[in-house]
Amino acid sequence: MVKVSRRTAAAGAALLAFGLAGSAFAQSTVKIGAVYPLSGNAASAGNYEKMAIELAAEVVNNGNAELARMLPFISPTGGLPGLKGAKVQVVVADNQGAPAAGANQTLRLITQEKVAAVIGAYQSGITETTSAIAEKYGIPFVNPESVAANLTERGFKWFFRVTPVAADFAKAYSAFLREQKAAGKKVDSIAIIHENTEYGNSVAKVIAEVFKTDGLNVTQNISYSANSTDVQPQVLQLKEKNPDVAIFISYTSDAILYTKTMKEQNWKPQILIADDAGFNDPKYIKEMGSQVEGLISRTSFAAGKPGSVAAIFDALYKKKTNGDGLEDVSGRGLQGMLVLLDAINRAGSTDPAKIQAALKATDLKQEQMVAGYKGVKFDAKGQNILASSIVTQMRGGQYAPVWPKANATADLVLPYKGW
Amino acid sequence: MTGRRILHLLLIAVVLVYPLIAADSPVYGRLGALVLLGAISASAWNIVGGYAGQVSIGHAVFFGIGAYASVTSFVHLDLPPIAGAPIGMLLSVLVAAAIGVPTLRLSGHYFSMATIAVGELVRVLSSTSDFLGGAQGLGGPAMPRTMFDLSFVSATPYYYIFLAVLVALLGLTHWIERSRMGFYLRAIKDSERAARSLGVSSGRYKLYAFMLSAAFTSLAGSLYLCMFGFIDPESGFGILISVKMVVMAALGGAGQLFGPLVGALILVPLEELSNSYLGGQGAGLTFVVYGAIIVIIARFLPSGLLSLLERRKVVRRAD
Amino acid sequence: MSMTLVQVVVSGLLLGAIYALFSSGLTLIWGMMNVVNFAHGDFVMLGMYTAVVVWTALGGGPWASVPIAAIAIASLGIASYFLLVRHIMRGPMLAQILGTFGLALFLRYSAFNVFGANFRTLPDTLVGHSFVLGGIRFEGARVLAGAVGLIVTLALHFMLTRTAIGSRMLAVSEDATAAQLMGIRPQRMQALAWGLAGAATGIAGALIATFFYTSPTVGETLAIVAFVTVSFGGFGSVLGALVAGLIIGVVESVSAFEIGPVYKDVVVYVLFVLVLWFRPQGLMGKT
Repeated sequence: MVKVSRRTAAAGAALLAFGLAGSAFAQSTVKIGAVYPLSGNAASAGNYEKMAIELAAEVVNNGNAELARMLPFISPTGGLPGLKGAKVQVVVADNQGAPAAGANQTLRLITQEKVAAVIGAYQSGITETTSAIAEKYGIPFVNPESVAANLTERGFKWFFRVTPVAADFAKAYSAFLREQKAAGKKVDSIAIIHENTEYGNSVAKVIAEVFKTDGLNVTQNISYSANSTDVQPQVLQLKEKNPDVAIFISYTSDAILYTKTMKEQNWKPQILIADDAGFNDPKYIKEMGSQVEGLISRTSFAAGKPGSVAAIFDALYKKKTNGDGLEDVSGRGLQGMLVLLDAINRAGSTDPAKIQAALKATDLKQEQMVAGYKGVKFDAKGQNILASSIVTQMRGGQYAPVWPKANATADLVLPYKGW
Repeated sequence: MTGRRILHLLLIAVVLVYPLIAADSPVYGRLGALVLLGAISASAWNIVGGYAGQVSIGHAVFFGIGAYASVTSFVHLDLPPIAGAPIGMLLSVLVAAAIGVPTLRLSGHYFSMATIAVGELVRVLSSTSDFLGGAQGLGGPAMPRTMFDLSFVSATPYYYIFLAVLVALLGLTHWIERSRMGFYLRAIKDSERAARSLGVSSGRYKLYAFMLSAAFTSLAGSLYLCMFGFIDPESGFGILISVKMVVMAALGGAGQLFGPLVGALILVPLEELSNSYLGGQGAGLTFVVYGAIIVIIARFLPSGLLSLLERRKVVRRAD
Repeated sequence: MSMTLVQVVVSGLLLGAIYALFSSGLTLIWGMMNVVNFAHGDFVMLGMYTAVVVWTALGGGPWASVPIAAIAIASLGIASYFLLVRHIMRGPMLAQILGTFGLALFLRYSAFNVFGANFRTLPDTLVGHSFVLGGIRFEGARVLAGAVGLIVTLALHFMLTRTAIGSRMLAVSEDATAAQLMGIRPQRMQALAWGLAGAATGIAGALIATFFYTSPTVGETLAIVAFVTVSFGGFGSVLGALVAGLIIGVVESVSAFEIGPVYKDVVVYVLFVLVLWFRPQGLMGKT
């Protein structure tokens, strides 16, 4: 029965020798802590981010010849080139959607797991407490997605935020709408409908401010609770006033309810905009996408042309998740992780201070992006000054970039069609 | 008898030197402080929930008031957060009176449900207040300015501060337990009608217990803010904050001096460790284990873990 | 009254009937044995997932999922009674909170483990589209849920007040020892109550899933509504829950429309506390 061919035996021996040699050479693995909401109400988003961040580590560890040509921290054969082929290990922790749990877990990652850097933590409030722990211990903290303005105003030295903030989204919407107005579309009355936790409130507030200075007329501002059992009254309010433009800032649960209720009550505005988040949840797109044809959304991710960094990662992510493509949340998470990996690779070390210095010197170009940013470069406060947004439109159950023109792969079609 | 005394001294010694034992591990050092913080709020709840038998599921109102009093002292008055603690306690006492007068006349579950409603009411209102930072919440000093900001890297100072507060609270509770008020509260808990017929002004004593309980719950909130440096409506006024106090006290043994502490000793490490070991998988196992253990304890020891000791005591006396 | 306001009120009434539907199981248990089931919202959630599973596995709509969910959640109720509730009833009232809160977390995250964190929805063609009647729009799935809500709560009410088994159950809830002397087996009656409550809750979940989203944490949202509805109406009064549900539904809808959705909860909670101030036993509860 035991019949080992000479060739396989030889290959085995070679592998063994290679393995031994490899382990003798290899740098100790680079540990990176990731703190995300893996239970509680935001668990859906947290799990997508987790997979995206793990994907980045897998690609670095296994190597990818195509990506290696565009990204210096990826080698064709695997491992971080700047650290003699060291592997990356992601230690994931659950912040349970609670600022306290996030802080406790970050402390564990830093002091017990001895991670070289931390990435996290989705909700702005949790990013606030987790990054405070990293700051106290002098460990770099990369934040791929929290939008609260004050996070970069705390004078932290170890905090780096890759995402655009609410003011950037607001400017994008404003520019987009003013362009539509110039093209003769009716944008005289605008309704902002937002959920009333930190995300919805902060984004809605900034949009209202920016629109006011830009001369766009916000006629309705509706704030509601994301875990509402019913949204019919709000939809009826909208139906009665019938604004030209409606902007939704919603999580997934409420995005589903609004979509269903707008159809039930048979109301649609000329232009329907949904700020990312719930309306970009892969499950939402899959199950509700056909009901919102022509919906305009903001994203930081667009797959772009075949062969681009974004397209390659999108394909790899689809393989990992059995079909769910990258979207805004996972795209930004992945981008944050790539920024961190790039810095560690350039630092050539797991020393926190060297990684911090490398992060400060980050200079990634647009063609190296997974997210649709113009690049990554941090200012003195740790904010990425090249972060930007793309406007997309729902077409046959999928979002396609339509604005700005440079990123567009499809033409904008108005008015909103719906179901 | 001497054996028991040695055991007690040993326990006290362990509590006093715990930070030294855990000196090598910031995680375990912090865990000690977290247990004490949980024990403070659960012990505060115990005064009205355990001794007076009025099961409030809205104590997060006071926890949140304490935390927000501290953070607003910093944000709006530029004081160290702990300066807000007495303001929070005072405010909580007043709010407790305002809530207590209409709700404490309700019996049993109606009182519990009314306190849930009040808690949710306060949570929703707090998220619409710009003064309180709205839904986004408010942060304490990002960088400690002076020692009075109580912002430390090590958990050891927190441990001893929390220990001092807990000892004071338990001392006070012990004193009440043996005072006339303790006697009245027990009478009210056993049968309110009987207590009233004996001439005990049940409404007044329930209200006292509620106000006292509120003051210390508020202090726990202020201490939480000093340690974590951030508060938002959900982590201040959320229903889970209230429920955790109830569960901790009930698990150890409500209406007993050390019940909440025992509950905190079990639940806080269980929560932290199960999250540390199982949370990263993102499969929800943390709470499957956490929930199952609570169910098992409730199933076999419905009166709390301390009832184990009681049983032994009874057996011993019977001998 | 403008047409839109009529629509708001009608939507509120329909919503209220649905609130009554998923609260009736809770009030039954509460009234019969003075036990609050903190896992109630998670029972509803499991009913909802039953509908999702029936749809994805069998392609079946509510005609298949409602009876399956009723049986599944009734079994869960009876199992909870024998394995847990029966024992914690011997302890203080706090033991109920402890035990059923633990059960809630256990069920919620077991569902999380099996189904994942994602939000699921059922296609809205399962029940039928919306229709217009007298200028008012109705959605098929909500009308079905509301109608079944009325039927189930009224059926439970009549069963408790007009049938022999109902009076036996009430006898146990009044005085278990006396009932036992009369030859009624209290445990059997209590288990029956948990089974009935579970069935009603399962039906509620399966119907709500046809127009709502389903996620492991959805029960949390629904539980608070159910608690308020039940104590508003008075513990144990199924009819009270129905009336309270309708009032809350309309008050919520109208205040969300007139004042703003953030404040609708404020209005409901204030109203609730006021009702208890004047009627400490709820609208239709026994003193």
